[in-house]
Amino acid sequence: MVETILVVDDDMDILELLKMSLESDGFKVRTATDGYSGLQSARLNPPDLILLDVMMPQKDGFQVIQELKESEETQVIPVILLTARGQTEDKVRGLDTGADDYITKPFDLREVTARIETVLGRTRPIKYINPLMRTMGDGFSEEGVQQLAGHLRTAAAIQKKLLPEKLPSLQGYDLAALLQSSTAVSGDFYDFIPLSETQFGIVLGDVKGNGIPAALLMVMIRTALRLLCQEEPLPASVLKRINDLLVRDTDVDLFATMIYGILDTQASTFTYSNGGHCYPLHRKNLHGPCYTNDGEKSQLEDFKNTRGSRESTTIDFLETGGMLVGAFDHAEFASETCFLERGDILLFYTDGITETEAQESLQPTETTSEDMFYGEERLVACLSENATLTAKALCQAVVSDLALFSGSTQPNDDRALVVIRRES
Amino acid sequence: MNFDTTLGEQNIFILHVEGKILGNAADGFREEMEQYLQGGNDKLIVDLMNVPLIDSNALGAIILSLKGYQKAGGKLVLLSPQKAVRNTLEVTQLTTVLEIYDTEESALSAFS
Repeated sequence: MVETILVVDDDMDILELLKMSLESDGFKVRTATDGYSGLQSARLNPPDLILLDVMMPQKDGFQVIQELKESEETQVIPVILLTARGQTEDKVRGLDTGADDYITKPFDLREVTARIETVLGRTRPIKYINPLMRTMGDGFSEEGVQQLAGHLRTAAAIQKKLLPEKLPSLQGYDLAALLQSSTAVSGDFYDFIPLSETQFGIVLGDVKGNGIPAALLMVMIRTALRLLCQEEPLPASVLKRINDLLVRDTDVDLFATMIYGILDTQASTFTYSNGGHCYPLHRKNLHGPCYTNDGEKSQLEDFKNTRGSRESTTIDFLETGGMLVGAFDHAEFASETCFLERGDILLFYTDGITETEAQESLQPTETTSEDMFYGEERLVACLSENATLTAKALCQAVVSDLALFSGSTQPNDDRALVVIRRES
Repeated sequence: MNFDTTLGEQNIFILHVEGKILGNAADGFREEMEQYLQGGNDKLIVDLMNVPLIDSNALGAIILSLKGYQKAGGKLVLLSPQKAVRNTLEVTQLTTVLEIYDTEESALSAFS
């Protein structure tokens, strides 16, 4: 694309000289001999760059810049000032007013070309190369920013619609889910997919990054998953196919961590595969004589007496893992099944929960990871304390505990939480 | 996030990172890791001892840089990640594609 330079100078010789030189460099050149006509030309058809003389009768260069900056159409046009030798004040004032560079008269024509190239090199990517910006409106003008904000709101609304509006009601099970976004659109997601009368697909994931790119990838994964889970009976095969799809179709640094599992209400089982996602928690009811398991760090136990007979519970991590999804073509995934007793709880979460930072006043001075973040152990404790609540109330209890820990209700990162409880 | 570089035995660079690597900071982290490769050094040790937390963007930076070094026939290894970072690497199973060492000596010996 040929770029247009508008040259504004009251000296006809300089105008001609610059026009000839710049045209031979491949630019299209328009000229104006005073500030008024320069402004008019810029407004009528904004050029890619303006070479602007400072010393002009009536309206000088500074006034022209000021007026250019006042209008949305012209404020983004880069300006190089032509100043007289030794006028340091002019240079400072010019740069203060918003000029991008200045050239001192008398000048070397090669210097003019070089400076124009430098300034255009800086502004060109913003104008031409970023197609997203072109379709979404420029990010400079107020109108552009408003348009972009409007698009983001629409994206957020679409994304919200993709989340299950109403959770499925499953015989004998209590479900709850929660999503908190740190930005308008979220990289975290969950979904419930009916597979048969007694089987439900459940997915919880976290797409790398946040904002629009993460949301786009999330929509792609969600769509692929909805289709693939009807074809593939094994959760590991579903993750493998999504992995292969992402490796093939997206850039290498777009990936997700996710858990996909099938809840079977007839067999009371949860069969899952984990693609690099935080290990879910399983609060188990253990019937019969209670036993402790001190050696296991991943277990936290609480005991209670129920009408004389002792009933105990443990909280375990579902530790069958797999590679994160979408980054490596040789990634392998495994399926695992766990049995759900009456009263058992499964809790799925994203790292936005466990990596919630402590209130500054509570943070230790040393830069260690201990106590700085909410962490799995505190989540286990929170589940243990609130295990008698409904699934929905349990989600709320986690959110309240996070607010207490971080001193804020506004998350720094996206957070998602899914709770499944088998009713007792 | 701060960076510091030291030169170990066999002229292998050790990149010491300090601070959390979250969000857009991952871009700078990746540039830092890849500049040695661009300079013709295909061996790098990334010291994460003073990094309390990384997010998925930082994981992406590590994956991309790792692939860059491997493609060039070289190697990128990690040194002393803290508990939270190590946990993230384990859960995402990047531990299966990355070599992780606890001491500078053992990291250096991985290249001999």
